[in-house]
Amino acid sequence: MIIEISHFLSLLATGLFFLVGLFSLFVTSNSYTSNLISRTYSQAFLLLFSSFLIYVWLAVTDNFSVEYIANHSNSALPVFYKVSSIWSAHEGSMFLWIVFLSIWGFIFNIAINNNEILKPKTVGIISFILVGFLLFLLLTSNPFITILPIAPDNGADINPVLQDPALAIHPPTLYLGYVGFVIPFAASLAFLINGDSSIKWEKLIRKWSVMAWVFLTVGISLGSWWAYYELGWGGYWFWDPVENIALMPWLAATAFIHSLSVSIKSSHLRIWTILLSILVFSLSLFGAFIVRSGIIDSVHSFANDPQRGLYLLAFIGAIIAASVFLFVSRFSMINSSNNIPNLSKESFISINNILFGTLIFSIMLGVTYPLFYEYLFDQKISVGAPFYNAIFIPIVILASLFLFFSVDSKWSRGITIDMFKKPIILSITLSIISVIAISFIFKTKDIFILLSIFAGLLIISRYIIEIWKYIFNKKYLNFFSVVAHLALGLLLISISFNSLLSSERALNIKLNQYEEYKDMKVYFNNIQLIKGSNYDAVKASFNIEDSSGNNFNLSPEKRRYFTRGQITTETAIYITPIKDIYLTIGDQLDDGSWIVNIQINFFIRWIWFSAALMSFAGIMLIFSRKRI
Amino acid sequence: MKILLKITVLLVPIIFILMFFFLLTEKRSYPGADYSEFQVPNFNLENLYENKIITDKDLRGDYIINVWASWCITCRVEHPYLMDLKNRRIPVVGINYKDERNNAVDWLAKYGDPYKIIIHDFKGSLALDLGVTGAPETFLVNNGKIVAHYQGEINDKIWKDVFDPIIKEKDMFR
Repeated sequence: MIIEISHFLSLLATGLFFLVGLFSLFVTSNSYTSNLISRTYSQAFLLLFSSFLIYVWLAVTDNFSVEYIANHSNSALPVFYKVSSIWSAHEGSMFLWIVFLSIWGFIFNIAINNNEILKPKTVGIISFILVGFLLFLLLTSNPFITILPIAPDNGADINPVLQDPALAIHPPTLYLGYVGFVIPFAASLAFLINGDSSIKWEKLIRKWSVMAWVFLTVGISLGSWWAYYELGWGGYWFWDPVENIALMPWLAATAFIHSLSVSIKSSHLRIWTILLSILVFSLSLFGAFIVRSGIIDSVHSFANDPQRGLYLLAFIGAIIAASVFLFVSRFSMINSSNNIPNLSKESFISINNILFGTLIFSIMLGVTYPLFYEYLFDQKISVGAPFYNAIFIPIVILASLFLFFSVDSKWSRGITIDMFKKPIILSITLSIISVIAISFIFKTKDIFILLSIFAGLLIISRYIIEIWKYIFNKKYLNFFSVVAHLALGLLLISISFNSLLSSERALNIKLNQYEEYKDMKVYFNNIQLIKGSNYDAVKASFNIEDSSGNNFNLSPEKRRYFTRGQITTETAIYITPIKDIYLTIGDQLDDGSWIVNIQINFFIRWIWFSAALMSFAGIMLIFSRKRI
Repeated sequence: MKILLKITVLLVPIIFILMFFFLLTEKRSYPGADYSEFQVPNFNLENLYENKIITDKDLRGDYIINVWASWCITCRVEHPYLMDLKNRRIPVVGINYKDERNNAVDWLAKYGDPYKIIIHDFKGSLALDLGVTGAPETFLVNNGKIVAHYQGEINDKIWKDVFDPIIKEKDMFR
């Protein structure tokens, strides 16, 4: 009964959202209708949210007559994982995705005053998008389907690699980021439909966009961290198709919030800003389509039937087609006639837009070209890290150089940048000296690594000089920009040093013997079979000693889970500020020795720290009192 | 210049959408289905009910192989459909996958036994040779040769979309 109530509530919500959409777009707006729209949206949201809360309750109380819960949860799981099992597969995670979308809409709805001209239409567009996805959920991927009359005694258990705190929060954070861009998307469409170019739609959505960007940044970083220690991938980024699909909206979003800051100030770059707002959300939807249509095989994809893919393609295609059509038909309204002065801040940001656009297009090509090629010529080709590195490294270095010079530029004024100003000369000199020193110390001539370090150092030193001037000369400083760009510089340097210094080797070690790797002695002390609550494991113990006298134990495991027969590797990591010693065990060889993979990963923590610092800059902006 | 921008903005998404439409509707790209043909691997395993050995030589003609286990919930979901196949006189060979014998026998006693023969593959060795990654999975066998493989729950829709075209083409189950 309670299952049916939950099901019915979400059906009811779908109907109400449809009415909201209909009203806001086709009824002339006045204060009465905008009140009505706002209230009806909130009611529809409460229905949907109650439906979801009941569903969470069903999962927590082990109601295995719900097929989805029976398939993905188990009575032995801690409550935390019973809840997170909801988003461990397609139907439930789609449900969560939709609920998050409605939450963004709800908060927007209560935070923004009803007098705001664009509000009713923005809420209406969000409602229509909700209706489309709710229909998709209820018609093709219904999470409420029951196994009746005889429910199974216990559930099938959550996928073991998902039984991890980082993974329990990685998908929700990422989803919050993806769907958060519905606010700028809907607002920009509302602006285009409204047709009055004097309305400042950009102001309305600045903080919302930054908020969504923060969630996206944190979500991607959590995924990267999780793959490192739980999946045993041993790195921070693999250009996996689904990683790429998350990176595209992130790049678009980053370009978007930069472009937005220009449009807010001077209505310049409006074409870019609106196009980017459409692009960010379209790419988020595209990501949902790719992982849920079964087109790409990856750790992230869900098993699926083509009907789902076709529905999603039709719906997402309609959203994208409608928005680009609207964009083109209102082109003259947003096309600003006055030119941007050369070497002004605006001009640097438009260059940034172009560079980011190029990156997005390259990833899109890398992801889709193998699919299309296989379809057309029936031959498999693979696009991997070398392709992406070859495109990313030079463009990112170029973008960093532009960023360096943009520090001295001014809004709306095309002042010539004096190349011989003290800060510029100082940063360049310091960076060149450091890079030469690094090249000698680490004996490397890898031009791309050295250039990346150079770019990172340029950015950091230039901004430190700005901070110096702020402290001693009280020069104006945009803190958000400074922190975020310092993080970018740090990220570039960490990634460069990581690829310069890190190394790995597969060792064959027999029990009670040792192998040497670099300056370390790896002793194989013990191996034992252990029984976990729902798995068997082989646990190996190693003692590692390095030349500087450090001595520590590491115990990697290999587990086999009963219910799914799945084998997982549990890595063992020794963490220091500079480097990680990362150990995984493989198979036993015929002579009794074990394959042990050892990695030394330099500065890998700094990569995630940089991402965290970037997010922190965004959070600072959201909570700042400064009126934009 | 502006016309060019407008055309690009309109055309790029449309081209992508069309390409994905063709990809999704391509006949032989049904998600979860695999149409590569190969011989049923050699095996030597016990029957689930008695300690009698079954080998690949004991299986003849056209039949379905269904990989299942008592711990697998989706197997429970597709179970009525297998009973339906039994009523339609389509022979289904069961591979009991990584399962305790008692649990499996109890399960069949509780819900009904749709299988003609059941192979007890405790270690999953036959399943490994078949390329099984989990349960349930279902294979269509034409004279000792596997002609279709589906991962996940089979039902009427999957039967019509994945297996029926091949059954008609090869004129099976006569």
